[in-house]
Amino acid sequence: MSELVGFIISGLVTGAIYALLAAGLVLAYSASGVLNFAHGATAYLSALVFFELNQGLGLPAVPAALCTVFGFAPALGWLLDRVMFRKLARLGETPQIVATIGLLVALPALGLWVVKLLTDAGVDLAKAENQYGLPGVGPSPAKHWKLMEGVGVDSDQLITWIVTAVVAVALWILMRHTPLGLRLRASVDSRTLTELRGVSADRLSGIAWMISAGLAGAVGVLAAPLLALSSVDYTLILFVSAAAAVLGRFKSVPIAFGGGLLLGVVQNLVAGYAPSWTEKITGFRTSVPFLLLFVGLLVLSRSKRSAGTAAVDAPPPDYLAGMSPLRRWAPWLAAGVFLAVSLYTWTTAFWIGLIAQGLAAALVFLSFTVVTGLGGMVSLAQATFVTASALTAGLLMSHGVSFFLALVAGTVVAALLGVVVALPALRLSGRMLALATLALAFLGDQVLFQMRWLRNGDSGWSIPRPVVGPVDLNDDRALALALLIIVAVVVVLIRNLENSASGRAMLAVRSAPPAAMASGVSVVRTKLALFGISAGIAGFGGVFWASFNTRITSTEFTAMNGLVWLAIVVAAGIRRPQFAVVAGLTFALFPHLMEEYVTETPQVPVILFGLAGLALAGNPEGWIVQMAEAGHALRARFAGTPAKSAGHEPEAPVARADVRETAPTPSADAGVLLRLRGVHAGYGGVDVLHGVDLDVRAGSILALLGANGAGKTTACAVAAGLLAPSAGRVELADTNGGFRDVTRLSAVRRARDGVLLAPEGRGIFPSLTIDENLAMWLRAPAERDRVYERFPGLAARRKVPAGSLSGGEQQQLAVAPLLVRPPKVLIADEPSLGLAPLVVEEIFRFVAELREMGVALLLVEEKASEILTVADTVAFMSVGRVSWCGPRDEVDEHRLTAAYLGMALDGGAVADEVPS
Amino acid sequence: MVPVLLLAGCNSSTTKKKTDQTPDQKGASASASKDPIKIGGVVSKTSASGYSKADTDLGAKARFMMANDAGGVNGRKIDYIGSEDDGQDPARTTTAVRKLVQQDHVFAVVPVNTTTIGGSADFLKDNKTPYIGWGTLPAFCNQEYGMGYNGCLVPMPGGSVNTSWPGLLTAILGGDAKGKSVALVTQDTDAGKFGLRTYQQAFPPSGFTVSYGKSTVPGTTVPTDWSPWVSEIMSSNNGKAPDVVVSIMQTPANIGLFTALKRAGFTGVLTDATDYDPALLKQASSKEALQDVQIFVQNMPFESDLPEMGKFKEYLSKAKGSPVTEWNQSMMVGWNSADLFLAIAAKAGDNLTVESFQASAANFSDTYPLVGDRKFPVGRKDSFGCGAMVQLKGDKYTITAPYKCYPTVPFK
Repeated sequence: MSELVGFIISGLVTGAIYALLAAGLVLAYSASGVLNFAHGATAYLSALVFFELNQGLGLPAVPAALCTVFGFAPALGWLLDRVMFRKLARLGETPQIVATIGLLVALPALGLWVVKLLTDAGVDLAKAENQYGLPGVGPSPAKHWKLMEGVGVDSDQLITWIVTAVVAVALWILMRHTPLGLRLRASVDSRTLTELRGVSADRLSGIAWMISAGLAGAVGVLAAPLLALSSVDYTLILFVSAAAAVLGRFKSVPIAFGGGLLLGVVQNLVAGYAPSWTEKITGFRTSVPFLLLFVGLLVLSRSKRSAGTAAVDAPPPDYLAGMSPLRRWAPWLAAGVFLAVSLYTWTTAFWIGLIAQGLAAALVFLSFTVVTGLGGMVSLAQATFVTASALTAGLLMSHGVSFFLALVAGTVVAALLGVVVALPALRLSGRMLALATLALAFLGDQVLFQMRWLRNGDSGWSIPRPVVGPVDLNDDRALALALLIIVAVVVVLIRNLENSASGRAMLAVRSAPPAAMASGVSVVRTKLALFGISAGIAGFGGVFWASFNTRITSTEFTAMNGLVWLAIVVAAGIRRPQFAVVAGLTFALFPHLMEEYVTETPQVPVILFGLAGLALAGNPEGWIVQMAEAGHALRARFAGTPAKSAGHEPEAPVARADVRETAPTPSADAGVLLRLRGVHAGYGGVDVLHGVDLDVRAGSILALLGANGAGKTTACAVAAGLLAPSAGRVELADTNGGFRDVTRLSAVRRARDGVLLAPEGRGIFPSLTIDENLAMWLRAPAERDRVYERFPGLAARRKVPAGSLSGGEQQQLAVAPLLVRPPKVLIADEPSLGLAPLVVEEIFRFVAELREMGVALLLVEEKASEILTVADTVAFMSVGRVSWCGPRDEVDEHRLTAAYLGMALDGGAVADEVPS
Repeated sequence: MVPVLLLAGCNSSTTKKKTDQTPDQKGASASASKDPIKIGGVVSKTSASGYSKADTDLGAKARFMMANDAGGVNGRKIDYIGSEDDGQDPARTTTAVRKLVQQDHVFAVVPVNTTTIGGSADFLKDNKTPYIGWGTLPAFCNQEYGMGYNGCLVPMPGGSVNTSWPGLLTAILGGDAKGKSVALVTQDTDAGKFGLRTYQQAFPPSGFTVSYGKSTVPGTTVPTDWSPWVSEIMSSNNGKAPDVVVSIMQTPANIGLFTALKRAGFTGVLTDATDYDPALLKQASSKEALQDVQIFVQNMPFESDLPEMGKFKEYLSKAKGSPVTEWNQSMMVGWNSADLFLAIAAKAGDNLTVESFQASAANFSDTYPLVGDRKFPVGRKDSFGCGAMVQLKGDKYTITAPYKCYPTVPFK
C-alpha cells in the first residue's frame, strides 16, 4: 500500500512538470493556433539562463529563478511572437509545424553559442557542458523528509508541487476572473469576433505567448535538478506532455493540467507494476509515454477535416507558366550537368564525398515532396523508414543477398511500414498527424530498432556498395554520378506522378476530401498510397545513404534527425522535387562551406538550419522560391515592366478625383457617420467590389439588399475593417464636422472608434457564459445588470455557456449589450438569417430602438420583405456595385426585381449616385 | 543512362587507383624526408545531451607535445592538427573523418572519442588510415586499422569478458565475495541488455550472486522519479537489500538512482563506472549523491603518484597554456590514445609508413603504467582488463583498490 502511495506521490512530481508544459502548450496554441514544438527548447533555454545567472554570475537562486521566469522567458515568448508566431498564425499548418521544429533545433544551439560568445568576451559564465546535479531554487543538496515507510519527499519535489499549485490557481484566476482571461478565452472561441469587439487578437496572442513561455521558464528552473542541461531531454518531455495536451484536446488548460499530473502517475505505475513479460520487450518502458501520446491522439483527437492541411496554402504565382517544358527545366538540367562535370573535373575527393552524401540525402528528402508537398501531410517518421529499410537491406546482405535485391526488399519494407504509419492519417490531420507520426518514430527508435536480430548490436550491418559490370560504386565519384542520375529519375517520376490521375486524386484528397470522395476518389487508398510511396522513396534513398558509409547502425538515422531533415526540406521548398535535391545538397555541403569560409563554431550551421524554418514565416514557399521571386522582380525592374504586386491594380485617378470633390461639402453629409467612397475590394487578387459608395447616417437605417454574391458581405467587411480595400476610402465623421480617413485602420481600432460589425451568423462566443459574452462589450457590472433587467431570460441563465442557447436567444444576446451601450455605427450582416419569423420581428424591433438612440445602422439582408418595414434608405447591390440607392418610399416591386435580377434601371440613372 | 554509367565505370577505375595511392604517397613522402607526422582526431566536443568529451583533444595534444619535446618519434615530430567536433551526430562524424583523411591527409586518426564512429570504420579501412580511441564500440574490435587504447571493450559471444570490476569489488569487500549479492541496473535499450548480459556472466566467477539484473530504466530521458526501481532493488535479495548495487548507466541516471537508494536506507556498496570526474564535486547535490560510491576506473587514477602521472599533469597544463587542476577521463582517453600511437610508431622504426605502422601494431606488446600491459593482437578482441577503484570521500576521490589487471572468463 505504502508503495502505491509512494508511486503516486512521486509520480505527481513528474506529472507537475508535464502539467506546466502542457498548460503552456495549450494556452499558446488556443490563443494563436500555433502548436509550438519548440516549447521544450524554451524550457531548456530557461534552464540554461537560470544556471548561468545562478552558477555563472553568482546571483542567488531565488532572484535568478524570478529573473528567468518573469523576465527572460516572457521576453523570449514576446520576441518569438513578434517575429514569428504572429505571422505563422496566418499561414497553413505545414509552415507552422516546420518553423517551430526549426526553432527546436536552433534555440538550444543559439543558447550555447551565446554562452560561448559571452565567455569569449570575458563574461564570467559557467561551462554549460557536463553539468550534473544542478541546484534548483531550494537547498542543494535537497532536504529529504520521510513521510512513511518507503515514502518520502524532498525539498525540490515540494517546491515543484507548491509552484505547480500556485500556477494552477493563478492560471485559474487569470482565465476565469480577469478581463484579460475573458478576452483570451473569447479569442480562442472566435478571433475575428474578438477583434470586432475592439480587442486586438494579436496583442492577446502576444500575452498568451508570454505566459506560455513563462510556464516553460518555470519548467526550466524546476526541472534543472532533474534534467540538468540536456536540450534533447527537455524536448522529449515536451513531446510526452503533448499527450496531456491531447487529453485537453488542445483547448482546455485545466484538463491539460490535470492530464499532465495523471500522466506522471500512470508512467510511475507502469514502471512499478508492469508485468514482467514486458521486460522482454526491449524499450517498452522507455516508450510508455509515446504509446500514451499515440493512443491519446487516436482516441481523443478527431479533426474536422480528415485530410491534409493544404486548404489555406495556395500555390505561389508560377512565373514560368507560359514557358515550354524545355525552357522551364533548362536551369535544373544545366545545374545537373554542371554537377556531373564538376565531379570529374575540379572537385577534390572530399567534396565528391560530400556531394555523394548530399545526393543520397536528396533521395531521402524527395520523400517529403510526396507526403508533405503533394499530400499536404506532415510526417515526422521519415527517418524511421530510412532506418527500417537500411537495416532490412543490411540483414539480407549479411545472408548473401545481392545489393539490388536487398534494395528492393528494403524499399518494400519501408513502404509497408509507411502504410502502417499512415493508418493514423485516416483519422488525423495536420499537427495531430505530425505528433502521431512523431510518436511512432520514437516507438521505432525505442522498440523496433532495439531488436537485436534486426539491429545487430552496436556494429550494425555492413552494406557493401554494388559493382555492376564495369561500374564500381565503391568509388565515390561513380556513386555520386549514379546517385545524380537516380535522383534525376526520381524527380521526373514524382513530376509525372503529380500530373497523373493518381496525382490529381492526391491533390483532391489534400484539399477537399469530401469532394474527392464524391468524385469517386478513395480517400483511404490515396492516403495510404501517399505514405507508402513516400516511405518507399525514403527507404530506397536510405539504402543508398547507408551504402555511402557501407554500414548501417540503428542510431545512424534517428527520429530527431528526421525533424532536422524536415526543417531543411521545407525551408528550401516542399512543392517541387527539385527543391528537395537542393535541400539535400545544402544539408551536406553547407556546414562545410560555413566551416571553411565563415566560422568553425559548430553551432552556427545548426542555428541557420533551424532559423531557415523561421524564414517560412515570411514566405511559406521556402527560400528557393523566395530567391526566384526576388530574381524575377529584379529582372522585371531592369526590363522596365512594373512587377505586379499581389494583383492590386493601380486605381483609376479619375474616380479618385470624384470622391475628393464630394468630400468637403458638409451640407450634403449632414448626419453621415460612416461613408464608403469608390471602394474596390476582393480576395486573392480578384475584385468583388468595383467602386462602391455608401453613406450611413446617424439615427437612420440603410438597408443593403442584393442577390447572393452581389458583394454585400464584402462591403460590410470593408466598412468594419476586416478587409482592406484595394482602392477607395472608408471615412468616419469626426467631431468637427469633417471626415477622417479610416481605410487603413484595423477592425480593432474601428471598433474602439464605435464602428461595430455583427457578423453573419451569431455574433457570440459559444464557449463563454452569457455573462462573459456581455462583459466583452459591457465592462461594468452595472451595465450588464441593465441587460438582465430588460431580458430576464438571460439573467436566469447568466452562467450558462452561450453555445447552448437557441438561435433566437443567441441573436438576442448579440444585440442586447448594444442596447445598453450603443455603438456609433452598427453594421449587421444578415441578422435575420435562420431565425423564426417571431424572432426576426423582435430583432427588427431592437434595430429600430437602436435607431432611436441615434445609431447609424447598415443592415444587410438577402430577403427584402421584412427589412423594408424598418429601413430609411435602401441600396441595391449587384455584381459589386450599388445599382440603386434611394429612400424606402421609392422602392417598388419593379426596382426590387430589377435589383435582384441585376438589370439596368431607369436608364441607369442612379448607379453610383449618392442620394442626399 | 547506360553510357553515362559506363563512363562512370571507366573513370571510377582510374580514381580507385588514385585513392589506393593516397596512403602509399603518405608513406612514401614521409619516408623520403623527416617531415612531421600529421595526426588529427574526432571527438564529441558538443552533444544534444549536454555531455562533452572536449578534453580528449587536450589530452592528446598534451601527449603529442611531450613526444615532440622529447624529439618526436624516431626523429619525426608530430603535427597534431586537433580534433574535429562531430556533435555526436553520425552524419557529422562521417564528414569529420573524411575531412581528416581526404582533405588534411592525416597519417592516423587519433584520438577517437565519439559513440558514432561505427559508420566510418569501413572508410578508414578502405583508406588505410589507422585510428585509436576508447574501445567501447565494435569499431575498435577485430578491425584491421582500429584499436582501443586499452583493448576492445565490447565482449563478443564466444570470446571472453574481463573480471576487473567484480575483482576490484571483491578486494574492497575484504578479498572474498562469496555469498555477496549484487544488483545490476542498466537501461532499457538493446545496448543496456547486452551490458547486463556481460556483467551477469562476469560477476559470478568472483563469488557474487546476481540477485537482481534488469534493463528497465528508460533509455531516453532520465526518470524524474526512481521509486519504482528502488522499491524493487531494496527487496531483491530474498526480501532484503542486496550487498552491492552496480549501475551500468550514465552520470545523470546514477545521481538519481543513488540518491533514491540512499534515501530508502540502502547501506551497502554503490558502484558505477562513469562518475570519476572532479567537476561533479562542484555541485552539492551530485557530490552528496556520489558520496561513498565506489567508482570503477579503467585508467590509472589521477591520485596515483607514478612519475607518468606527473608527466600527464605537467603536460596538460603546458598544452592548455594555463594550470590544469582538475583532470577527467576524457583527458585520459586522449592522452592514452596518443601514447599508444606513439609507442607503436616508435616500434615501427625509422621508415614510418602505414605498412610499417600496421606491421608494428599487428604484434605489439609493452607495459605503460597508466594503462597496464598493452598486447596486440589480443587487444583487438579483449580488454586489457585493468582498473582501479576510487571512492568519493568528502571533497575528494581516494583510491580504494589500486590499479591492477584481472583475468578474463569465457563469454557465452
